[in-house]
Amino acid sequence: MNAQLETQPETAVLDLPPEVVKLAIRDLDFFYGSKQALFGVNVSFAANAVTALIGPSGCGKSTLLRTLNRIYSLYPGQRAKGQVLLDGEDVLGPRVDVAALRARVGMVFQKPTPFPMSIFDNVAYGVRLYEKLSRADLTNRVEESLRRAALWDEVKDKLRESGLSLSGGQQQRLCVARGIAVRPEVLLLDEPASALDPISTARLEETISELKRDYTIVIVTHNMGQAARLSDHTGFMYLGRLIEFGETEQLFTSPVTSRARDYITGRFG
Amino acid sequence: MIAPGAPRLSRRLAEYGFLGFCWLATGLAILALAAILWSLLRQGLGGLNLDVFTKSTPAPGSTGGLLNAILGSVMMCAVAMLGAVVVGVLAGTWLAEYARDSRYGKVVRFLNDVLLSAPSILVGLFVYEILVAPLKGFSGFAGAAALALIAAPVITRTTEDVLRLQPAALREASVALGAPVWRTILHVVWKAARAGMLTGALLAFARISGETAPLLFTALNNQFLNLDLTRPTANLPVVIFNFALSAYDDWRRLAWAGALLIAATVLTVTIVARLFARESRPS
Repeated sequence: MNAQLETQPETAVLDLPPEVVKLAIRDLDFFYGSKQALFGVNVSFAANAVTALIGPSGCGKSTLLRTLNRIYSLYPGQRAKGQVLLDGEDVLGPRVDVAALRARVGMVFQKPTPFPMSIFDNVAYGVRLYEKLSRADLTNRVEESLRRAALWDEVKDKLRESGLSLSGGQQQRLCVARGIAVRPEVLLLDEPASALDPISTARLEETISELKRDYTIVIVTHNMGQAARLSDHTGFMYLGRLIEFGETEQLFTSPVTSRARDYITGRFG
Repeated sequence: MIAPGAPRLSRRLAEYGFLGFCWLATGLAILALAAILWSLLRQGLGGLNLDVFTKSTPAPGSTGGLLNAILGSVMMCAVAMLGAVVVGVLAGTWLAEYARDSRYGKVVRFLNDVLLSAPSILVGLFVYEILVAPLKGFSGFAGAAALALIAAPVITRTTEDVLRLQPAALREASVALGAPVWRTILHVVWKAARAGMLTGALLAFARISGETAPLLFTALNNQFLNLDLTRPTANLPVVIFNFALSAYDDWRRLAWAGALLIAATVLTVTIVARLFARESRPS
């Protein structure tokens, strides 16, 4: 047993077959000013699958998520080095149209962030940026998005009311609807359920499982049960490094690295 | 552990003493305000009649009103606010959204704070030097420029403050949908902050509606009804200033009526601003 422990690898990252890869991250370093937050991350995320990122607070999982749509570039002083390949194209390159990138890679945040406008306009906001739809088409798109986010039945009679009038769980599903209304290819979820009660969380999880058929989903979560329930692949991060990445079932039942095992069995973190 | 029994005597005395001073200070402030309002109402209501709103300022001894001064004040304040809102909102937005931590932003913010507390008579002299003296004439536009110079820093400051209160997550959410930053500011951040921005503009308006000093050297005064802002223009504060110091009873009555009008306007605008501010607070 001891001998086996000693031969355990420091890191173990599963290589996905190239034909299923939607997003590939190569030698990614990330800096907040002079402080380095990510160290040489190499990993791939599969298309039409849910990938969960877990790890203790401050391990860099949200930072990794925020490089995928370059939302970090709003803040001077934050920079990424390496490659993030979306369908083989480096999104960190200098000539990338970041607004167009973000229309392909949607994001839902930890706290619900409804815009100060009606429920309808919240969902239509992103659509209007990139598409000139007729009134009827736009209405259809809004309905379709709200249905897929499992919110339609609750709001269909009050689409003109402010998005701020909804409950926290409904607001978060509104944000999901807003995110999928622009028909992105990838959906990034940054602890989307951490501000929600258990019932709202369950509904959101159903929504995410439904969406998997059409989107590549990457979710950061502190809730390991959630990661186990929802995801096909899981990555465990620690101190800015990707320690282990593999099939969710394998990682949760028989992790290869001692760090991942300690974290999953609750010995730290 | 909480010590049992009543608090010590010295603590109770300190508590009562402090509370007493608070009540006294509040009482003094309210008393002063009440005294001003009372004398305004007592002296001003008597002078208020239809003539005040329909006739221009009279020669001593003849009947007249404040029509020219009211119109002049309204026109100059409107032009001033138009300019000040454009400059103030854009400058405040730049400070909050684009130059939050930049060195240049810090310098501009500091200078704006200096301008915010500059004596208004200096603003009047400044506009006299750059507009009145070179163009060789007092004008309503010069008056409006002076008022705008006083209002713009107030609007810049309040705009920056309310925009900074908007959570970063709101901006990120819009940008994450593929919206450019300028669009995010226009359609999301301004919308979220609109009540606070409106409150700032209303407070700036309340501030300039009673300013006298900057108008003395710029708009001057005009005895007659004048809708042309390129000429000297009558306005309530300067008329009040002139009439209140005069020896004629009917002029002094008009001065009180004008003062009451300004006070009532400022009070109304302030209350409206408060209502907007309350609405903007998250419930």
